[in-house]
Amino acid sequence: MNAPADAPAAPAASRARETLIELADVTRTYVMADTPHTVLAGVTLDIAAGEFAAIMGPSGSGKSTLLHILGLLDRPTSGSYRLGGRDTGKLDDDALSRLRNQAIGFVFQSFYLVPYATALDNVLLPGLYSDTPGAALRRRGEALLAQVGLSAQAGHKPSQLSGGQQQRVALARALVNDPDLILADEPTGQLDSATSAEIMGLLATVNREAGKTVIVVTHDQATAAYARRQILVHDGRIAKS
Amino acid sequence: MTAASRSPRRALRILWRIQRMALLALLAHKARSAFVIAAVAMGVAALTVIVASVDGARRKALEIVDFFGPDAVMVLGGDIENRPVGQRIYTLTWADARAVARSLPGAYAVLPMRSIRQITLKYDNRNHESPVVVGATENYARAWNWPLAEGRDLSEEDVARGAKVALIGDEPARQLFGDASPLGRTIMVKNLPVQIVGRLAYRGLSGGGSDVTIDDRIIMPISTLTQRFNLDRKYFRGLRIKFHDPDLIDTHKDNLRALLRHLHHLGPTDNDDFTIISASEILKFLTAFTGGLVAFLGITAGVAIVVGGFVLANLMFLSVSERKAEIGLRKAVGASGAALTAQFLSEALYLTLAGSLAGVALGVALGESLSRLGLLQLRLSPKVFVLSLAAAVVIALVFGLRPARKAAAMDPIEALRGGDD
Repeated sequence: MNAPADAPAAPAASRARETLIELADVTRTYVMADTPHTVLAGVTLDIAAGEFAAIMGPSGSGKSTLLHILGLLDRPTSGSYRLGGRDTGKLDDDALSRLRNQAIGFVFQSFYLVPYATALDNVLLPGLYSDTPGAALRRRGEALLAQVGLSAQAGHKPSQLSGGQQQRVALARALVNDPDLILADEPTGQLDSATSAEIMGLLATVNREAGKTVIVVTHDQATAAYARRQILVHDGRIAKS
Repeated sequence: MTAASRSPRRALRILWRIQRMALLALLAHKARSAFVIAAVAMGVAALTVIVASVDGARRKALEIVDFFGPDAVMVLGGDIENRPVGQRIYTLTWADARAVARSLPGAYAVLPMRSIRQITLKYDNRNHESPVVVGATENYARAWNWPLAEGRDLSEEDVARGAKVALIGDEPARQLFGDASPLGRTIMVKNLPVQIVGRLAYRGLSGGGSDVTIDDRIIMPISTLTQRFNLDRKYFRGLRIKFHDPDLIDTHKDNLRALLRHLHHLGPTDNDDFTIISASEILKFLTAFTGGLVAFLGITAGVAIVVGGFVLANLMFLSVSERKAEIGLRKAVGASGAALTAQFLSEALYLTLAGSLAGVALGVALGESLSRLGLLQLRLSPKVFVLSLAAAVVIALVFGLRPARKAAAMDPIEALRGGDD
C-alpha cells in the first residue's frame, strides 16, 4: 500500500513480468491408514509478481493443499517450489518461519484473531516476530487500521467486532510486515454478500495500488470474479489456468 | 533455533515483545491462572515454613550451646540414658566435688547444684508458682554465661554463710514486681524470707517444646537451700564443671568419667551411676527432637511443590489445546518453535512467580501462627525468598516445558483446522 496510486507504468509492468511463484511438478501425498492418498498429482504453475489470481475448484480438489504449499505451511512430497527465485525445498523450519513472516500475509476464512488481544495488537502480531522497531511497527499498524476504516475500533476485542470488521483487521494484519504475497483462504466464506464485496474490494485495492501479489482460494464465483486470472484445480491437477 | 543462535539480539527482542501478549493471555484466563497460582503457593508456603523452622532450630541450638557453654560439662547423679530400675539418682557427694576440683586436669570451676521443684513465691499479695529453685555456689551468673540485668551475683560469702539471698529470673520478677525493680526486696520462698540481690537478664529459651521458660527460676546459695529446706546434706543433684580449653572437652569428659568411676568404686562391669552431659549431647537431643518435624515438613513441601507442578502442567496442556488456533496462526505469521516455547514458558513463569510470592506471604503467616502456638521456632531470612523464587523457576521449567514444546511442535495446518470447522 505504500506505492502511489499513479505509479509509473514501466516499473509496474516490469514487475508484472517477474515470476514470483514457480511450481514445478509438485505432488503431495498423505498416508492415511497405510493407504497413500494423492492430493496433488503434479502441479506446474507460474504466478507473476503483481498478479491477482483466484484458485478455484470443488472441495477435495486439492486447492487448500495447494494454498498451504504456496504459504510454506506444507512441503511438497516431490517437485519444487521457488518463491521469488529461492528454492524453498532447501530451507529448514526456522528459515521457512522467517520467510512466511517477511514475504507472505495470510487471510483466513475464520479470521483467526487472538481473542484476548485488541484489534491493534492483532494487527501488530506478525510484526512482533520481525525486525521492525517497536515504534515504527505501531505507527504502521495504526496506519493500516485507518486504511481498513477501523481506527475507532483499535482498542476493541475481536468479540466486539462484526465479522466484516474482524476480516478487515485480519487483512491489516496480513499487510503489517509489507509482504510481497497475500494468500487468502476463502476470505468471504463467513461473510454476507455486501461484506464480501467490501473485503474483495480491499484485496483488489491492495493488489492494484500496493502492487501486492494476491492469491485467493475460493469456490465462490462472485469472489473469484474479482481476480484477473482464474486457476481451476481438479483432482489434484491444474485443469485450467 | 538457527535464526535465534545466529542473532541473539533478535531472539531477545522477540522474547521481550511477546511478554505483553503472555500477560494478556493469563489475564484472559483468570480462574485458571488463579488455580495454578494457588497450587504453587501451597508448595512454596510449606517450603517457607520448613526453611524458616530449620533456621530457627539451628539458631535455638546455637543459643543453647552458647548458654550451656562449649567449655563446660554437667554431671548428674544416676544413669539417665539407661535408667536401671532402683538405681539411686543421688550419687554425687561433696567429697566427689572436692576430689574433682582438686585433681581433674584442665578444670577451673566445679560448681555443685541442686534444686527443688514447684515452690510458691510470694511478694505482698502476689503469688507465683515457680517451677524450679536452684541451689548454686558463688558466681552462678558468670558460670552460666548469663548476664545480670541488675544487681550482683552470688558471692562466696553468701554460700559460706548460708545467706537468705537470691537471684531472680525474668519471669518471676515480672510476675511479682511488674516493671518495678526487685532489687533489695524480700520475697517469701515457700516460708523463707529471701532478699533479692540480682536479676538475671531475659533469656527467652524454652525447653524442647514445653512452655516452661528457662527464665522462670530463682537461684539461692546451695548451702541455704540445703539447710532451710532440709535436703540431704551428703549428696547433691548436679555438678557443673568448666574447663580452660573447649577443644579438649572430649578428653576432659573421659578423664572425669574415669575419676568418678574410681571415686564411686565401680568395677569394670558396673554401669556408670552418673551421667555427663556436654553441649554436643544437648545438640544431639535437639536435633533428634526437631528432626522428625523437619522431615515431615520437608516431605510435605516436596509433595506440595510437585502437586503444584502437575496442576501447572495440566492446565497448560488444557490451555495449549484450547488455543490451537492461536498457536497455528502465530506459526503461520512466522513465529518459530523457539518463540512459541518461550511464550508458553513465560506464561508458566509468571504464574509460578506470582504463586511463589503468594506462598511466601502465606508461609510467613503460617509460621507466625505456628511459633505463636509454640510448635516451632522460626527465623525468616532472605534465603527464604531466594529459595522460593528458585522453586518458582524450577517448577515453571520442569513442568511447563512439555506443554510449551507441544505448542511449539504443532503443525500449523492441523492447529488452524482444529480451531474451527
